[in-house]
Amino acid sequence: MRRSYIVLISLISVIFVLAYLTTYMGILGPISSDTRYLAKLFLALTYNPDTSTSLRYLTAMSPEAVTAIVWDYRGIDTFYETTVFFMAIVSALTIYRGITNIESKTQGSGLSIIVRVVTKLLIPMNIAIAVSIAVHGHLTPGGGFQAGAALAVISVLLAVVFSGYSFGKLGMGISKAVALRSMGLLGIATVTLLPLIYGIVAGVQTYLMQNYMKVDSPFTFPIYAWGQLISGTLIWLNLAEFLAVSFGFFVIFMLLSLREETVKKYLGVGDGH
Amino acid sequence: MIEDIIMYIGLGIVVVGSIVNLIGAIGIYRFRNFYLRLHAATVSTIGGVFYPLIGLALVAFSLAELGEWRFFMGGSLLVSAFLLLMLAAAGSHALARATHRASISRPVPAVADHLAEDRGG
Repeated sequence: MRRSYIVLISLISVIFVLAYLTTYMGILGPISSDTRYLAKLFLALTYNPDTSTSLRYLTAMSPEAVTAIVWDYRGIDTFYETTVFFMAIVSALTIYRGITNIESKTQGSGLSIIVRVVTKLLIPMNIAIAVSIAVHGHLTPGGGFQAGAALAVISVLLAVVFSGYSFGKLGMGISKAVALRSMGLLGIATVTLLPLIYGIVAGVQTYLMQNYMKVDSPFTFPIYAWGQLISGTLIWLNLAEFLAVSFGFFVIFMLLSLREETVKKYLGVGDGH
Repeated sequence: MIEDIIMYIGLGIVVVGSIVNLIGAIGIYRFRNFYLRLHAATVSTIGGVFYPLIGLALVAFSLAELGEWRFFMGGSLLVSAFLLLMLAAAGSHALARATHRASISRPVPAVADHLAEDRGG
């Protein structure tokens, strides 16, 4: 009992000492109330519809600075991140090789009717939120990866609440999910390579993943569609990444929801063989 | 005038919610077995989070200086409150049911156990 009091008092005193040191002694250095120069630069440049100055060649035409940096200024880096995720799913599929669809031989019962009804009410909201995060990725915080992770929650809910066999009942097999994920990756590749094709056809200089016109390249993706700001490549890359990430996670969670005996019997290893 | 009344009603709900939260925390610490502690946790989820969110929505609706943005804030607070109302109930139900089915926790002075009787135990 006395020991727990000592732990409590020492925790509270550490919190107070840290708060005092950071607030009054300033051990983390002076806190500037001014925005840093780099942040000011990005905030001024990411959305710059003013076409009179030469600064327009540096804009990404997106009011959301994070998406502008992630998919425009360092677009190749994000492309490699997507490739790493792709490789992770490929290795998972290699371990579970041969299993294409989950047969619903035995009917899983799932959780009680209360949880199932609440989950049924929740899933449409989840889809709406995920799609809105993806479509507004160039306007508000979020983007393709976050939206894909939000949509992938549905697969966990389905596996836990309705049992892993519900994927087969919904017509969502592993091969279909892999196909949809590959479509997303193809979308990213298409948007990446379109400026190159345009440059070869039209005979002008273009860059890979080019979004807005550069000093020596007049190529520009459509920035507005039906009067709405779509920020050129950013909305297409976000939507393609949404598809790739959400169905990539779907594949992983579908494979993880399989019974161990089923997998062992299918692969011909362990006791099932 | 009417906005002030709505704001003070909202702030009152927030204060009541914080008291309920304190009661729930004491309950989680002091109650004897799993089901009673789950009950205390649900009290602090519904009474300590759901009602304060409603109160904060009322406060947001009463702030006229925010303009039309107060409806965005209040609306999102109401949606969060609705989601919490559904999810807290379903989650605590699933926890209690799973614990009962797995026979992990058995309350010592158990007066009746209708679930076990239904299952023929």
